Amino acid sequence: MLSVENITVCYGQMKALREVSLEVSTGQMVALIGANGSGKSTLINAISGLVPIAGGEITWEGQTLKGLTPDNICREGIIQVPEGRKLFPAMTVEENLIMGAYHPNVRKQAQESLQKVFSTFPRIADRRRQFAGSLSGGEQQMVALGRALMAKPRLLMLDEPSLGLSPKAAAEIFDIIRGLNKEGMTILLVSQEVMQTLAITTYGYVLENGVLALKDSCDRLLEDPKVKTSYLGL
Amino acid sequence: MDAVLIIQSLISGIMMGMVYALLGVGFSLTWGVMHVINISHGAFGLLGAYMAYSLLQYFGVDPIVSAAVSVPLLFLVACGIYQLLIRPITRAQNVVMASMILTFGLAIILENVMAIIWKADPRVLTPTYSSGALILGPFYFQYPHVVGFGLSLAGITAIYLFLKKTYTGMAVRAAWQQPEAARLYGVNLYWISMITFALAVSTAGAGGICLALLNSFEPHSHNLWLINLFLVVIVGGVGNVIGTALAGLIIGVITGLSMAFLPFLWVNLVTFGLLMIFLIFRPHGIFKQEGI
Ligand SMILES: Nc1ncnc2c1ncn2[C@@H]1O[C@H](COP(=O)(O)OP(=O)(O)OP(=O)(O)O)[C@@H](O)[C@H]1O
Ligand SMILES: [Mg+2]
Repeated sequence: MLSVENITVCYGQMKALREVSLEVSTGQMVALIGANGSGKSTLINAISGLVPIAGGEITWEGQTLKGLTPDNICREGIIQVPEGRKLFPAMTVEENLIMGAYHPNVRKQAQESLQKVFSTFPRIADRRRQFAGSLSGGEQQMVALGRALMAKPRLLMLDEPSLGLSPKAAAEIFDIIRGLNKEGMTILLVSQEVMQTLAITTYGYVLENGVLALKDSCDRLLEDPKVKTSYLGL
Repeated sequence: MDAVLIIQSLISGIMMGMVYALLGVGFSLTWGVMHVINISHGAFGLLGAYMAYSLLQYFGVDPIVSAAVSVPLLFLVACGIYQLLIRPITRAQNVVMASMILTFGLAIILENVMAIIWKADPRVLTPTYSSGALILGPFYFQYPHVVGFGLSLAGITAIYLFLKKTYTGMAVRAAWQQPEAARLYGVNLYWISMITFALAVSTAGAGGICLALLNSFEPHSHNLWLINLFLVVIVGGVGNVIGTALAGLIIGVITGLSMAFLPFLWVNLVTFGLLMIFLIFRPHGIFKQEGI
């Protein structure tokens, strides 16, 4: 479905990614792990079209994404929940969600999707008229997820959805993500919670300093000595 | 002091304040959404005023009617200016500074063009109802002021509803609050910037017409208007529409009262003194940054 082939991304002189490749197929949930600064966000921002790629190619259902701007990529159904949530703080919860259905393909179904999101996240339904900036971290993450669901993603990319959350709130978010995948959603999950992430995904990629260090099924990654020492602290 | 005079100048102040609010909202939006401080905002307002003046003078078209033509026209002109001048500089390192220099130049060009076309003499808008007045008990309001007030109230309400109720308006707010996330959900920032800029310029035109119903104007009047705009936006908070509208009212009232009770030369001293005080003590405005 999505295939990233040997992409290189530079910020000025610095190469943040070097010839990285990755595949996600329909219905799969793939993990992308790596230490701070290893280039995980850069990779999904490159897929979203936020950062230009200096080499290599990203293809989506056989078509190249080259030259497409983020709004066009969003229209393709490739939807990102950005790191740090990036909600619209002075807009209400409901307005944030409605903005998720901004692109014309899904706008007509906005009200329907809204009801669905509210039934998935009853907690934020109660706060629909509150400013998003005034919610707790866990609630904000739910709004961020809800906003993404409003866009009817065909590929959902989550960048550290549990960042800054309490263990309880993080577990709740992971449950929701697993549920979405069970219902058939294709997911690319970036996370520092290596144990929890590898437990719910089927295949994983490990980035190290902008280079792909490992890729394997999650069962085998969990057994890998390098993963054990570097990411699981075992 | 005379209570009637106080209330009279208070209400006159509110009327004038509403006009400043209308002018200020657009100024605040381009600043907040695009980081463009449009020094030519007042000059575009003045252009609206002159267009209304000519249409009234030579064709007898009432300013309200002509606004229905000139405001959309300004919208289109602004789209062109955005593509030609503003869009290229939004790639600059320091957009705020680049935009100020560019639009400062634009303001000077506009001022000179207006001086050539309409001459340097002060002008007044004198629609048919200009000598009439609304008399409510002991209070007395000239019709042009009432009309200017009504028009600016309508303008602000329209902007508010646009930002609050339409998808494009919501995208404008989203792009201001969190541009990256807005892009991720399908907002084309260039398109939204163009709409914002054009909306701001066209409402400046409407505001200029309203202001011209209240005061006389000449080609350099926009400089004074601009200072008042800065004051309104700084008091109200950049990008905060409701705050800007309220700030317009507050400043209108202060100006109204000082015009009634202070020698004329003191009026600007009071408003500019206020600007300084705000910049020192409340650079983010008096309202919470949240709002629209
Ligand atoms: N906009 C930018 N300009 C310059 N350098 C950047 C930019 N964004 C990221 N970098 C650099 O690129 C490298 C990769 O960053 P990236 O954010 O992709 O890492 P990450 O794996 O997501 O890290 P984290 O776990 O902390 O989120 C880092 O060295 C970072 O400093
Ligand atoms: Mg990151």
